[in-house]
Amino acid sequence: MKILYFAKLKQLIGKSEETICIGQKKKKVSQVINELKKRNDIYNFAFKETNSLQYAVNCEYVDLDFFVTDSDELAIFPPVSGG
Amino acid sequence: MQILFQRKKFIESDFIKKFSSDNKNSGAIFSFIGKVRPKNQNNNVLSIDIELYEKMAQVQIKKIINKLMKKHLIDDYLVVHRYGRVKPRENIVLIVVASQHRKESFRFGEGLMDWLKVKATFWKKENFANGSEWVNQKEADREFIDFSL
Repeated sequence: MKILYFAKLKQLIGKSEETICIGQKKKKVSQVINELKKRNDIYNFAFKETNSLQYAVNCEYVDLDFFVTDSDELAIFPPVSGG
Repeated sequence: MQILFQRKKFIESDFIKKFSSDNKNSGAIFSFIGKVRPKNQNNNVLSIDIELYEKMAQVQIKKIINKLMKKHLIDDYLVVHRYGRVKPRENIVLIVVASQHRKESFRFGEGLMDWLKVKATFWKKENFANGSEWVNQKEADREFIDFSL
């Protein structure tokens, strides 16, 4: 699954995207994030406040309970501030 | 009916003039321009960097427009939003709407801007002489949203 990071989150993690494999089973967005948090202190800190971040799967806003598969594109970012 | 994202700075009158000419049978043309303020809480803003998730911004703005078009009868619209580095006093966003009567254009344009502020995937970072700061979404921006749409 492709994961995209934007804005402050991209800055904290130090990359704009990465690909992970979650296997054949579907996983909730929250489960994917919990796995990322286990990687190291940087990820753990970046995802400290998951409720203050926003999530999108294939360009549609979703919540942390949404199920994703390896064919999805998950984007994670702080609330938008355009305009 | 066009949504443009561009790095290049733009002169609003170029777009408005062409849009108005393309919609010569409309009775009302609404336009809104959002610009970079040179100061934020007494700090001089040197520039802002606008990050964009283009694919999602297109999807979300089109969704907003489809919702608004069911409610307000308009003839045409144009959205221009910049990304990359933008300097104080330059334009960030331009919305132009054409309709037969003024109220449809006003309401459509205002609604589009309100929704764009909370759904379109742009992020602003302000650059000051002593560092940079990401701009947080304002609570007030959510207050104006008509979630019944």
